[in-house]
Amino acid sequence: MVPVPMTSSLTFELLGKCSVTKARAATLHLPHGPVPLPIFMPVATQASLKGLTPDQLEETGCRLCLNNTYHLGLKPGQATLDAIGGAHRFQSWPHNILTDSGGFQMVSLLKLAKVTEEGVRFLSPHDGSPMLLTPEHSISLQNSIGSDIIMQLDDVIATTSPDLARMKDAMERSVRWLDRCMQAHKYPEKQNLFCIIQGGLDLGLRRECTKAMVERDTPGIAIGGLSGGEAKDEYCKVVDTCTGLLPEKKPRYVMGVGYPEDLVVSVALGADMFDCVWPTRTARFGNAITARGVLNLRNAVYSEDFGPIEEGCRCVCCRPSEDGGLGITRAYIYHVTAKETAGAHLLTMHNVHYQLNLMKMVRKAILEDRYPTFVKEFFSKLYNEKSKYPVWAVNALKGVGVNLLDN
Amino acid sequence: MLDFALLKTTGTLTPRLGRLSLAGRRSVLTPGFIGSTSRGVVPHISQDNFQKSLGLDGVYVALEDFIEKHPQKTPPIFHLDAPASIRKFTSLPEDTLLVLGARRNPPIPSPTANTNTEISLLTSVGYRSLSCEYYAAAARKLQPDIVVGLADIPLGQEVVGAKRKDKMSDRTETWTRDIIAKQKSLGEGEHRFNIFAPILPIERDLQSWYLEHLVDDMVSKISGVAIYDAYLLDDLPEELHHLPRLSFHAPASPHELLRHISLGMDLFTIPFISSATDAGIALDFVFPPPQKPNGGSRQTLGIDMWHTEQALSVTPLGENCTCYACTKHHRAYIQHLLSAKEMLGWVLIQIHNHAVLSTFFTSVRASIEAGTFDADAAAFEAFYEPQLPEKTGQGPRVRGYQFGSEEHAKAEKKNPKAFRKLDEEIPLKVAHGQQPNKKPAMKDVIDDEALVGLVGMEDANGAMQMEDLKLEDDRTAEVKA
Repeated sequence: MVPVPMTSSLTFELLGKCSVTKARAATLHLPHGPVPLPIFMPVATQASLKGLTPDQLEETGCRLCLNNTYHLGLKPGQATLDAIGGAHRFQSWPHNILTDSGGFQMVSLLKLAKVTEEGVRFLSPHDGSPMLLTPEHSISLQNSIGSDIIMQLDDVIATTSPDLARMKDAMERSVRWLDRCMQAHKYPEKQNLFCIIQGGLDLGLRRECTKAMVERDTPGIAIGGLSGGEAKDEYCKVVDTCTGLLPEKKPRYVMGVGYPEDLVVSVALGADMFDCVWPTRTARFGNAITARGVLNLRNAVYSEDFGPIEEGCRCVCCRPSEDGGLGITRAYIYHVTAKETAGAHLLTMHNVHYQLNLMKMVRKAILEDRYPTFVKEFFSKLYNEKSKYPVWAVNALKGVGVNLLDN
Repeated sequence: MLDFALLKTTGTLTPRLGRLSLAGRRSVLTPGFIGSTSRGVVPHISQDNFQKSLGLDGVYVALEDFIEKHPQKTPPIFHLDAPASIRKFTSLPEDTLLVLGARRNPPIPSPTANTNTEISLLTSVGYRSLSCEYYAAAARKLQPDIVVGLADIPLGQEVVGAKRKDKMSDRTETWTRDIIAKQKSLGEGEHRFNIFAPILPIERDLQSWYLEHLVDDMVSKISGVAIYDAYLLDDLPEELHHLPRLSFHAPASPHELLRHISLGMDLFTIPFISSATDAGIALDFVFPPPQKPNGGSRQTLGIDMWHTEQALSVTPLGENCTCYACTKHHRAYIQHLLSAKEMLGWVLIQIHNHAVLSTFFTSVRASIEAGTFDADAAAFEAFYEPQLPEKTGQGPRVRGYQFGSEEHAKAEKKNPKAFRKLDEEIPLKVAHGQQPNKKPAMKDVIDDEALVGLVGMEDANGAMQMEDLKLEDDRTAEVKA
């Protein structure tokens, strides 16, 4: 059964393509305003970005963030979301929200969940009573949340699973579940349903799945089931294969990816959207993301370092006070991290800003058609010598015409 | 120099109005309060939110929050080569009044006694001793606006003997003289800090020598007094009445705050603001109180935001409150944030609680101005419950420097265990954000955020056969409908 193509409430405006790699720059017009692509989306799991107020999140430049359907379904629950009128009103966030389907969280708890054709069965974390999450439930919840982009429920299994038959099952089930999600979706005119390509690391399965998903003509397309501990080479092959088969005029979202080098490489492979909890979580552990790598500011060497978290960074923490910023130093972060919640807030703002700014620079480079140069500069800053470049990145980029080891 | 103008006073032990001003800083109208910081921030309030949403004229900062490495190493803050280094280090706005003291407020009692030259204090890595000399040097280097002189107060002691009280007075006098000498030795053009001399929480005759010398030799060198027992304000020598009074007598409730005000206290540090915030209690009182409906029971002083009855409320924390939390968010969201243990919950309540106190003091000043303070305070007493509500929910993680050593001896955990090991035979995979190529040990570490709300599940009989379970489809269908 192939349902009629869905209504879309987004416009994908392609603005430029890299003449060497598969990178693209675009503007995605969503119900709550336009967002630039490629984009990194920080994760506000439980309708709050780790201590930041919506104003602070806005200040980092964010216009599209994630909420987790699974968490919001538990707390505050669908009834509350309905009563209040959705997640935007609930968290006072005037910009866009993307929600996942909740399946991922079920499956991160393999022991507690069981997948059948009907849906995912699990025990309620509140009282241990059995619950069922079906594609219909997931969409109904996401309809209540009112997110601008909603995700289909998919059958996620670890990419590293050796069981090819189970993988094929999961892939085919994901396609069937997409059909059920499309049927169940009440508000296609204001919420955009994205399909999720599954198939593990098997490129044949991925191709088959991509074909089936593309036929369903959803407003956007996600590549799922990655970022689960697979080798990076394999990851790149899957992204490269899928983007090669995807229509040009639709946004492509690779789920769960967020290290700066992964973002830069994945963009070269033709992906547009990314999300990951890493930048915000690592901030709470005192780790600052910079162009020269991640600094653990809890290390005593930073206790007397009175420079900004990152020289030249334009985030509210790093900017000097003469420039309207706070002039926060590495030594101060060392002083408060893990001792006051405000320390986590400060680094979270820096890290989110770093990720968003990286994508801004990526976009600019694509629009000016100098992405290969940008990628080379990025890696040379991150690793001071070529011998340290990760092999997977060198190989993946070689595949799209950029030789990192060239001079 | 610090200037304190008494705008209205009607005699001793009556409320008074004043204005504290210092060039370059916002002037502080009194009675008023300043924020209490922890490690350089008002708890939960990052520096940008402090500027945008807190509206405080001043803050109190404790030196003990900055000197972990002392005495083995020079604490990092002393390496910062900048004018007003403590202001710079903590990114405090230029126009905020900065008061430096030795100890947090309220201080944790130390097991080691003070000596003739040193006081004992608690850093985040344990108890340390700090000499009065070191303290004076720190004041010179860090350049706060106001330095509270060291006071020899034996904390945590139920009864203090007369001899010990004598000693308190002697030491405090010596230390006050020392900091005055330090201030005098400051070079031409060097930043001058203002000194607030401590008034000990003991009867006047037991600190009479100290007070006499304060009046005779030191009064022109000090800019204010620090009061440790508001109920002894009666004993304050007349000659010190023109000075601003900064209170370190922690009021237990707004009622006690009003009593302190009625005795003529000027400037407060109010620990119950942050403790209410940590308990998830949104303060909810106004001064003077609303007209009391006939026969109504007393109103609570705060709303316990952990209560599930708030979960559907789309009203702000405070009616008519104009703080960021109230103009932007509603109770349902804040209740959710607390129950989900999201840090933002405490941020918003903290902003609101400070706004409640700001409004409270504005009204108190208006009431003193109008001469209705006593009547208004009596009405307040009658309208509200005598105590803040009890804490029912969990607060944020408690840190080591927030409780005393006797607490360590208790068997229960200071913070409940957040995560437990899940059954190890089934490796948990597909976790966001792990670093497969970096640390093998971290490879299968489960996404903590995916697990929020799911800890303790192993007790729910994990071996139960899923197939045999009767699914509560009806219930989920109901929710859906």
